Amino acid sequence: IPPLTYKVVAECSVSKARAGLMTLRHSEVRTPVFMPVGTQGTLKGVLPDQLIELDCQIVLGNTYHLGLRPGIETLKLAGGLHNFMGWPRAILTDSGGFQMVSLLQLAEIDERGVNFRSPFDNSECMLTPEHSMQIQNAIGADIMMQLDDVVKTTTTGPRVEEAMERTIRWVDRCIEAHARDDDQSLFPIVQGGLDVPLRERCVSALMERQVRGFAVGGLSGGESKHDFWRMVHVCTDRLPRGKPRYLMGVGFAADLVVCVALGIDMFDCVFPTRTARFGCALVDSGQINLKQQKYKHDMQPIDEACECSTCKRYTRSYLHHIAASETVSSSLLSVHNVAYQLRLMRSMREAIQRDEFPQFVRDFMARHFGRDPIPSWIREALAAVKIELPPDAAQEQTASS
Amino acid sequence: MKFVLKSISKNSGRLGQLRIKQSKELQTPLLLQTTKGGSIPYLSAEVFDLVSQEHQQVLQLTLSTMDQMSESLAQWNRSLSDYVGYPGYNTLLLLRDPCETTPTGGNDRDVVPLFTRHGKESLTAARYMDMVANFAPDVYQGLCDADTNPESTKKRVQKSVDRTERFMELCYEQHSKLARLKDSTLLAPIVGGYSTFARTQSIKHARQQPAGSYGGYILEGFHTNGLAATELKAAQLLPIVEHCVQQLEEEQPRLMPGAYTPLLLLELIRLGVDVFDSSYAYCAATNYKALTFSYVRDKAEHAAFLDVTDEAIKEDFKPLLEDCSCLSCQKHTRAYIHHLYKTHELLGTILLMIHNLHHYMCFFEAIRASMAADQLPELIEHVRMQNTTAEVNYRIEPNNKVVGKAAMGKGFIAAAV
Ligand SMILES: [Zn+2]
Ligand SMILES: [Zn+2]
Repeated sequence: IPPLTYKVVAECSVSKARAGLMTLRHSEVRTPVFMPVGTQGTLKGVLPDQLIELDCQIVLGNTYHLGLRPGIETLKLAGGLHNFMGWPRAILTDSGGFQMVSLLQLAEIDERGVNFRSPFDNSECMLTPEHSMQIQNAIGADIMMQLDDVVKTTTTGPRVEEAMERTIRWVDRCIEAHARDDDQSLFPIVQGGLDVPLRERCVSALMERQVRGFAVGGLSGGESKHDFWRMVHVCTDRLPRGKPRYLMGVGFAADLVVCVALGIDMFDCVFPTRTARFGCALVDSGQINLKQQKYKHDMQPIDEACECSTCKRYTRSYLHHIAASETVSSSLLSVHNVAYQLRLMRSMREAIQRDEFPQFVRDFMARHFGRDPIPSWIREALAAVKIELPPDAAQEQTASS
Repeated sequence: MKFVLKSISKNSGRLGQLRIKQSKELQTPLLLQTTKGGSIPYLSAEVFDLVSQEHQQVLQLTLSTMDQMSESLAQWNRSLSDYVGYPGYNTLLLLRDPCETTPTGGNDRDVVPLFTRHGKESLTAARYMDMVANFAPDVYQGLCDADTNPESTKKRVQKSVDRTERFMELCYEQHSKLARLKDSTLLAPIVGGYSTFARTQSIKHARQQPAGSYGGYILEGFHTNGLAATELKAAQLLPIVEHCVQQLEEEQPRLMPGAYTPLLLLELIRLGVDVFDSSYAYCAATNYKALTFSYVRDKAEHAAFLDVTDEAIKEDFKPLLEDCSCLSCQKHTRAYIHHLYKTHELLGTILLMIHNLHHYMCFFEAIRASMAADQLPELIEHVRMQNTTAEVNYRIEPNNKVVGKAAMGKGFIAAAV
């Protein structure tokens, strides 16, 4: 049996949304799926048992951080990251390249790989596609990412094309170096900046490789939302139906709903756990900052409809009082925020299976934006997949007067 | 609150039963769950449920970490334990947090300082009782000046006794008047530092109150909380506690908050102290130490702690404590918890707290069992020596290490050169 099988379970009859079942060595994953980020081999203050209780099926680990600490030798001795962190379900790792380029000042890319200065003794080092595979093979995640040539999303000109072409050359080196193809699946990454022909060429080239799924990279980095959705749309138009599609680094609720409509299956983002540390809880209208005075005497749970252990037991008032002072508050809010993301994905999946996804999207946008106008990029993106939203309340008033 | 003594033994302390409101019978010596801001430190209620299935424990809440909740609680019409996420638990409210050093000073004839995260507030007895009424705990302590330790002067000690008497006059009065406290039990504070004379005076004042004025004693003023409690010398502390206990009526439970070492705690139990808290388990966890002392008599040598910051356990895939049945030891390794320490990840202290609390709760079960078998002295000797040749040091050294770059994994670079 291959280490990854994917089958489409249901498709929306209007948009490109689909529900699928991905079977990995450590877990079945029902898509569309949100993968919480456990950078250092732990999800901020949340026990693996709590994630299982939330029905989380897959988490993400960061190769760069895990390579530094605990280090590859330790991970090898532990028998991989699953054993090391006591997480029995699926894991996905990134290549390490993106984090290096964004975290280290001196990282430079040439044909061999990513040059960087060691963060602990300042010596010059190089992360090649081969090294990234070696490290990810030791980590042992169910899904791993190729090393790609990362450029800022706002970069234009020949550098974007060079990065796209190099990413394709590097995927071949990764495939060649991948030593555990029977256990782990390698995803290539679609690059090409905000240039439609480059994205198309990249997808076609990657589709010639023997891979079990695809990632869409180089987005969600400061480009305009109008460019963002068009690039996703272009990629999902061409990617094969029978393989999972992962959009890297996207996790705001409205973005998730739009991108599921555009045909994406997998997402990850640090946002839900990061915002928890600042006292923020996710709700349908966005997020609420529990540190605000208005929650001091608010005796409701964060969300009446939420089934998480935090909402079952704690009031906004209590959370307000401990948000700034007790570390347990970040565990409590992380649990709720992860529960929120997983519940959102679950309800999308169920709507797709009932073939009621367009109505789900309309209801969600109404709850999410309330009286505020729905951003034009969302209207355009959804219109591109034939989901029409009702006009904004404000516009309606102008039209009728 | 109702306290029934089951047995008293000359050498093995006293076993009793405590019933708070509608709770089931709680066995003494009893371990209270210490909290910060109303939560067991680092643990959500969901996680604590994984540590203990006993749903009627007693939470030790502290005003110094919950003061800002007072107004909200005045508007809350359910129980205090519901508010902090532990429905069905009993609550006991203290003034000071035994987990942290209480700053000294700020006491006056009419006020007691409340050191909170937002600074210092000066509490009059009236203000204190109003706040307590907002909380409406099942049990609470009377207001006292307990700012004394082994170094305190005679004058300072005398002041603490005199002021406490003044505060308590008002507490007794308000306790019977405030409607929100009609189901609450008041603990009479006994202060007086290390002076037998002062302690006797403090006890006399409590004992001359009409019957039913209070439902137990809280013995304070031996230390100023935090790690200071772990440094007390048995030769110093035990005689003065013995002096107090001899003068207290037997029918009332006796509480001593603070992070006493396991050995000192056993000696206090032998003297007849009934109720303690889990601050020692917290102090160890927050300084990255897993409790590993043995409370089951055997032949093997044991250490008091496992220091999780130690590089030597970087690739040690054993649990914190072999044969421990806690969630941390069942599912996680020393190497992983060491990694979480080095990466400053919250889960590291969570896993340590789970283990330490589990270990301490099991320790209390072992204590009660050995008392029932009249073998407390044997347990004390075992805890004292741990089958080694010298008395074991249970003091908790604060962890001041800084995680340096040298502690990072070399493997990454080795793979990438
Ligand atoms: Zn919730
Ligand atoms: Zn354990």
